[in-house]
Amino acid sequence: MKIPFSWLKEHVALTATPMQIADDLVRLGHEVEAVEMPRAAVVGVRVGLIASKQPHPDADKLSLLKVDVGDAEALDIVCGASNMDEGDKIPVATLGTVLPNGLKIKKGKIRGETSCGMCCSETELGLAEDSAGLLILPADAPVGAEVGDYLELEEAVFDLSITPNRGDCMNVRGIARDLAADAGLPLNDLDLHAVALDASLADAVVTVSAEQDCPVYMARRIQGITVADSPAWMQAKLIQAGQRPVNGVVDVLNTIMLDLGQPMHAFDADTLSGSITVSSAQGGEPFSALDGRELTLNAGDLLVSDNASVIALAGIMGSEPTGVRETTTNIVLESAFFRPARISETRRVYAMVSEASMRFERGVDPAMVAVAMQRATNMIIDLFGGSASAVTVCGDAGNVNADASGASRKVNASVSRIETRLGIEIPVAVDDVLVRMGFALQRNGDALTVSVPSFRHDVSIPEDISEEYARVIGFDKIPELLPPLATTAPARQDRSVHDAVGAGFLQVINYAFISASEQRLFVPQDDLDIALENPISDAMSVMRRSVWPGLLNTARYNMNRQQSGVSLVEQGRVYLKNQKAENSHDEINVIAWLMSGDVEQDDWFGNARQADFFDLKGAVNAWLTLRGLTGRFIADDSMQGLQAGQSAKILVGRAEAGRIGRVDGDIASSLDIDTPVFVAEINLDALTTGKQAKFVPLPEFPGVERDLVFLFERTVSSEAILNAVKSAAGKMLTDARIFDRYDGKGVPDGFVSLGIRFALQDGKRTLTQEDSDTASQAIIAAMDKRFGAMLRA
Amino acid sequence: MSEIDSLKAQLESLQADALNAFAAAENLNALQQLRVQYLGKKGALTEVLKGVGKLPPADRPVIGQHVNATKSALAAGLDACETTLAEKEKIARIEAERIDVSLPGRTKGKGALHPVQNGLDEISTIFSQMGFVVAEGPEIEDEFHNFDALNIPPEHPARAMHDTFFVKEMGNGEKSEPMLLRTHTSPVQIRTMKRFLAEGGEPPLAVVAPGRVYRCDYDVTHSPMFHQVEVFKVDRDVSMAHLKGVLKHFLSTYFEKDVAIRLRPHYFPFTEPSAEVDIGCVFCAGKGCRICKGSGWIEVLGSGMIHPNVLQSVGIDSEEFSGFAFGLGVERLVMLKQGIPDLRLFFENDVRFLSRMGVNK
Ligand SMILES: [Zn+2]
Repeated sequence: MKIPFSWLKEHVALTATPMQIADDLVRLGHEVEAVEMPRAAVVGVRVGLIASKQPHPDADKLSLLKVDVGDAEALDIVCGASNMDEGDKIPVATLGTVLPNGLKIKKGKIRGETSCGMCCSETELGLAEDSAGLLILPADAPVGAEVGDYLELEEAVFDLSITPNRGDCMNVRGIARDLAADAGLPLNDLDLHAVALDASLADAVVTVSAEQDCPVYMARRIQGITVADSPAWMQAKLIQAGQRPVNGVVDVLNTIMLDLGQPMHAFDADTLSGSITVSSAQGGEPFSALDGRELTLNAGDLLVSDNASVIALAGIMGSEPTGVRETTTNIVLESAFFRPARISETRRVYAMVSEASMRFERGVDPAMVAVAMQRATNMIIDLFGGSASAVTVCGDAGNVNADASGASRKVNASVSRIETRLGIEIPVAVDDVLVRMGFALQRNGDALTVSVPSFRHDVSIPEDISEEYARVIGFDKIPELLPPLATTAPARQDRSVHDAVGAGFLQVINYAFISASEQRLFVPQDDLDIALENPISDAMSVMRRSVWPGLLNTARYNMNRQQSGVSLVEQGRVYLKNQKAENSHDEINVIAWLMSGDVEQDDWFGNARQADFFDLKGAVNAWLTLRGLTGRFIADDSMQGLQAGQSAKILVGRAEAGRIGRVDGDIASSLDIDTPVFVAEINLDALTTGKQAKFVPLPEFPGVERDLVFLFERTVSSEAILNAVKSAAGKMLTDARIFDRYDGKGVPDGFVSLGIRFALQDGKRTLTQEDSDTASQAIIAAMDKRFGAMLRA
Repeated sequence: MSEIDSLKAQLESLQADALNAFAAAENLNALQQLRVQYLGKKGALTEVLKGVGKLPPADRPVIGQHVNATKSALAAGLDACETTLAEKEKIARIEAERIDVSLPGRTKGKGALHPVQNGLDEISTIFSQMGFVVAEGPEIEDEFHNFDALNIPPEHPARAMHDTFFVKEMGNGEKSEPMLLRTHTSPVQIRTMKRFLAEGGEPPLAVVAPGRVYRCDYDVTHSPMFHQVEVFKVDRDVSMAHLKGVLKHFLSTYFEKDVAIRLRPHYFPFTEPSAEVDIGCVFCAGKGCRICKGSGWIEVLGSGMIHPNVLQSVGIDSEEFSGFAFGLGVERLVMLKQGIPDLRLFFENDVRFLSRMGVNK
């Protein structure tokens, strides 16, 4: 909300500078987004009289002016405008002036002619978005005067962001009240001169059936007006306050709304048929809104209707056909109090925001309903003629915001409790400030009774009173104290992503929502997806069930930016509906990896190498080992989005904890990634905590190691081979692994040569040649029997 | 010349030849050959010894002494040359094995924590060390926990300001409770207090709740997903002075310098009184610069004393207990601390940004 400083001063004789006022507003809880200084912005621009005008000798479109700005000598100015003549008065930016657009005026030569200043348009003075030619000032403008002073430009305009609890401050008088109370200055009385009634006019006939939602409704007829533009001073005021002038009647109502906070509405009386009714909608009523929308109303909406149709969605917007136009001569003025929650709900349903609804939904001052009616009537008649009927009044403003007996709302509090919870003492003198803000206070020892003024809908409990005290005293007066701190054992930090990062992976964070088609890359179609009702875009419309699509996008983004390889890790949640429990869902904590392209760069010690399955498997295994866990990788050709023959599920203990594999080539190439992409994902919630190892004595006697090389069929898995070795070799076996793999020259097609190295050890004696021979024979026999494998060496 | 003199002369010349040869040996291998040549079984000395048998027995001990002396002299000569040669060869080998230690070492890829993760870790650690317990909650929430329990009833204007993402109907058939993506981490406050009380706990309760939050807002300064940390404490006589003390300690620790804090009255439905918290600008030390728009202050978070309606909604007696709460935006704090100019960089995940701004711990 924009408030011109001069408008504030109509309500209170402020003496502080605009910057001091801005600080006071912040301290009182009104956020100042900006302080605009229109007058200071044009300091140095003075009224000039064009003494002579000659064409520029070298440029058709330029003129040479001699301009009198009240100094001893007239200024030579080269000017490109064409709408001025000798004898005109114009604004002249003198040397050294910095205009609102940042232009600094310097002495210069234009096509060889000296220019000592600049003649200005409205745009250059920051007064209009665009303008044609120079601003020609009235003939009586005093030569040499500062143009800002002469035009009475605003000294300052405060751009405020009013918090939703302070409906009472969505107007100039509300802000003035806070400032006046704080500064100890009196708030000027409102002009309340009575309206001269025209007894010959019939009153407006109004029936309110929805008294709950509309406790106060006032209406009056004004007959015989001529709607003209509002006067220049009013238009200037509205523009400074950020409002666009519409027509005389609407401008009057907007001015009063900005001034006092009471939104009003005017109907063209000749478009109404019969009497006015304020009622709750049955549902289904058609409504042609002023903004051009055709609505069908919902049951419960608060309506203003005549005998024929809905003429307003109460407190939000009038109907198009009943609005005031230039041709209107008879009007019905409306001023009312509508229940905030009602306005808020209806406004949300139709996504309709108006200056009126913003105020009604925050709560207007019921005491202002009649005042605004009176002021609007006087102003309209003063400006546009006509005569007014008496006011038809439905309901009683005194009952709004009051208790059952009609007295204003009271809050009982304990001063010492407020002091304890704020951490400061409350000097009694501060009570005066609250009184100036409209509260009535009664202290009785520690007990405090506060009567709340009708415009403060936000104050109803002791904590609200404590806030009033705190902002008046100043939050800066509250000391900084550390509370007694509990000593709790800090929970062990989740190191999941840290360990992956330590292993050389770069952590990324992607949005939790992806597109529906990305969802389908790795997750089969079912009805467990969680979709958003109002997504930002289709690309961000479904809660992810796998982290891989995000990682793939990150890989694409970076590999398209000249990265030869990426090793990425992401930890986060995946989301899906819970199949078993109706209307519930699961959020599962996962960690996921992606590797593609170079894992090793070309380097002085070796050549670049591209990531393969075993780079990622090694990383996942090492990560599991760090948590005291062992993973088993079971080949699985059925996983969506992964290439058969290069994918596996990961078992940890008995639980299926994750997946690993090569991303389907078609998917990778659809993302313009031309290197193989490997991904893995582990469900962190499925992992048990690994146990810390218990001590086992180190072996005293040396062991033996033997190598055996066999020819296997390619389809045999090394895991099966090693399992068979383990069961064949007996209890003394301490280790068995594949130390060599060869399928080149000399190995028949469909076969592979695997070298198996195994180690034996016994805790009680040194092993002999015989021991290893026995184990070797057992292994050779087992390989033959289980796999038909032939010993090569 | 007698036999014995002839032998003596032979031994002397052999010794002289041998020592000359040793000194001339170019390497240990050559020296080893000379050792065999002079001292081996078939060596020159053995050859000389063959003449001893022809001597009269009385002369033998005399010549024996000469032989031994020659043997020792040769052995000593060999050892000395060997030491010298070994030294030389070592030096030569060291030279030959000299490397350029300035070449880079072999490494795995350079990993780094995402700057937001690092910020979350730093923030959580500071509060953990102050005795706050870490808690989490669901990101897909119901309206009760995200709004109602936090004193934001359906018609409340603040509800519209939250730009909430709603989730499509999750139940089958009949209309189920609307679900949404939580707009702040404050619902964790509700869930944690409820769980704590249900488990028989009684305040004090001090909690730090980090997590992702969502707002339906996407432009230069807004991301539809970002990270918040909710911090709250409930106890007897918790005051606004305590809130200011904790904020001051936290912000000074996080920014690794003594930062000034300023509280401005504000409005949040779930706190009363409520305050926006500014810190003295970390870029210009409060003098006023482009980033603080000349004010010397930068807004960092929202805070306040927990509204009694919120305490009552979870069953805590607001007469007996009070509390403070605040919620901070992680991205914002990280941007201020690391001088990152654009929020969007966090979720673009450009590896050049991540490896430069991220941290490996
Ligand atoms: Zn600054």
